[in-house]
Amino acid sequence: MTLTIVLIAVFVLALGGWFVARAKAKALYTGRGSLHSMPGYHGWHALLWVLVPALAAWFLWSAIQPGLVETAVLADPAAASLPAEPMQRGAILAEAQGLAEDPSATAFNPQAQTLAAPMRAAQNRFSLIGALLVAIVALAGLGWGLTRVKAGFRARTQVERAVLGLLLAASLLAILTTFGIVASLVFEAGMFFRDVSPIAFLTGTHWSPASAGGANISDNFGAVPLFWGTIYIGAIIAMAVAIPLGLMSAIYLTQYASATARKWIKPLLEILAGIPTVVYGYFAALTVAPMIRDFADSLGMANPSTESALAAGLVMGVMIIPFVSSMADDSLAAVPRAMSDGSLALGATRSETIRKVLLPAALPGIVAGVMLAVSRAIGETMIVVMAAGAAARLSANPFDSMTTVTYQIVQMLTGDQEFNSPKTLSAFALGLVLFVVTLLLNIVALRVVKRFREAYE
Amino acid sequence: MSKLDWHSAEARKRLARRHAAERHFKWLGLGAIVLSLSFLALLLFIMLRNGVGGLDWDFLSGSDSTDPSAAGVWGAAKGSILTMLVTLLLSFPMGVLAAIYLEEFAPRSRWIEWVEVSINNLAAVPSIIFGLLGLAVFINTFHMPRSSPLVGGLTLALMTMPVIVISARNAIKAVPPSIRDAALAVGASKVQTVFHHVLPLSLPGILTGTIIGMARALGETAPLLMIGMRAFVVTPPDSLNAPATVLPMQIFLWSDEIDKAFVQNTSAAIIVLLGFLLAMNGIAIYLRNKFEVRW
Repeated sequence: MTLTIVLIAVFVLALGGWFVARAKAKALYTGRGSLHSMPGYHGWHALLWVLVPALAAWFLWSAIQPGLVETAVLADPAAASLPAEPMQRGAILAEAQGLAEDPSATAFNPQAQTLAAPMRAAQNRFSLIGALLVAIVALAGLGWGLTRVKAGFRARTQVERAVLGLLLAASLLAILTTFGIVASLVFEAGMFFRDVSPIAFLTGTHWSPASAGGANISDNFGAVPLFWGTIYIGAIIAMAVAIPLGLMSAIYLTQYASATARKWIKPLLEILAGIPTVVYGYFAALTVAPMIRDFADSLGMANPSTESALAAGLVMGVMIIPFVSSMADDSLAAVPRAMSDGSLALGATRSETIRKVLLPAALPGIVAGVMLAVSRAIGETMIVVMAAGAAARLSANPFDSMTTVTYQIVQMLTGDQEFNSPKTLSAFALGLVLFVVTLLLNIVALRVVKRFREAYE
Repeated sequence: MSKLDWHSAEARKRLARRHAAERHFKWLGLGAIVLSLSFLALLLFIMLRNGVGGLDWDFLSGSDSTDPSAAGVWGAAKGSILTMLVTLLLSFPMGVLAAIYLEEFAPRSRWIEWVEVSINNLAAVPSIIFGLLGLAVFINTFHMPRSSPLVGGLTLALMTMPVIVISARNAIKAVPPSIRDAALAVGASKVQTVFHHVLPLSLPGILTGTIIGMARALGETAPLLMIGMRAFVVTPPDSLNAPATVLPMQIFLWSDEIDKAFVQNTSAAIIVLLGFLLAMNGIAIYLRNKFEVRW
């Protein structure tokens, strides 16, 4: 609490520093060229000197305070009776901390009750020390910032340097995120592969983590059925829907439709891409899947399941249509006008021109677009979670229930298992595979698109 | 080569065949569009038919409940608002600042190339991977509270930031160099040029991209499933650390209920979510039409 108040105080102080430094610089102004920097920059300079060191001190203190509090509490005579086992000890300390924050709560463990008072005292003491420390740093920063206000002082240069640092830090966040993804996936997957052999994971055909355990644990983590389900739903069924529909819509919109029709139809198609995937999933489960089951029934199949690869793939394909369509649109537009004009001038009809000239010329771009679409489809989660089912099986029957990589990731991580079991860790191994595959698809596709663009420029 | 007789029956037949093929092709294209749009219409129709009866004030102001007739959507909506707030506050400034750096200041170096590659790839990484990142980093490493709007917002912010960076870069790129040259010529520094002239001029484009990115984050479910935002929340969350759920997650949770009466609730919640998204996209289109400058 004290630390929150001191944080607000730091911001108020920084604002005050801004006004005082600016006023001081204004007072120094005696005519054109008498100040190196405009008064506002002196204000910002002072503000930065208050804010940056004080915030750094605040974060540092917030990080070390829990440790200090814990040592103080453990030194208290009341803590002598605590169990030595770290797990239990941690639980009691955590409960005491909760009691210290909220005295009205009732204690589950009597030891926590006795520790609550020393815990609160230690917290108050260290918060006060921290608050004082931060306040001293902020005031020192303010003092230093204000003494620098002089006519010749290059406040603008300093402020701009700080701004550039901020800009650089923001752009490095992207690298940090990528690094975070790779590090967390590789680390957790590495723990998984200590128990399960990577070769068994990538080539095994039996997936039943629920029954995993004992010596032959690797036998139950064969992920091939998941890879097959993912490819079958995302790359085969969904693409069988999305490629013809998306490509033909793009051709109609770019080659036949009037400008007005195009202006209206294109945003309508884009709506398909803007609908949340959970809505598609619900639609697939509520409407499409029963329809497909009835259809399978009428084909004479013995008790077809409600969840089917076809339902999930169909709906996923519809979701991807606008994506394929806009990629195809771009590739068709990139083909030089002279090529289709030449074909038309020789007497070919429009459809002949499209099929024999435009499509072959735009093919690399379209293929790259399809690759991006596939990478999006195989990473899609909600539709398969709600409509594809949990059965890991190698089957080519689209009416069968099938499972995917994303479905199993969700399955392994929802529910209350302990975190470090091979079952939960397998989700990270699957995530790593998914990440690597989508990354490769994207890199190759972007490279193809780039080369394709260069070829016509 | 023999002279072709354009009036012979054979040539006419051939021409007719070619023209028929032309017509068929055109109909095929039109058919593809009609089919796609009718699917959209069917989806909206079914949701409206199932859900419109459930939309009343009690539904809009209530929270989750095991009783379908008492369950409402406000708890989830509030969770969504808090989560989006965190996402916006983090991803918007960071995304815009990164875009400015990459577009205006970055030297052509290997480092910067890495940044660009990773931004482009992050924009295409499946959303569920960001959920795994959030679980491993925010919850298991930093021990932030599970299923809270804070962690949800942070995770979605990492996912949204690349989208904002890419659209902001395009908006900044669209500002003609003459504006920069003019500012520099009257003595502005590089930073002043960017913050006083380039940024305000590109702001409409940046905002449009931001709203579209936020709309995507609002509809996202999978990453939040990973960080456990599937709590059964009876009272709306009152802080960033309280257990919460969000609108798409509420839809997912209700869709799993066995009780048939939840079908109406689910569809009604979908209508509410689509209403939010429609409003956001409407604002984005309005902004684009009203403020966009064609140079």
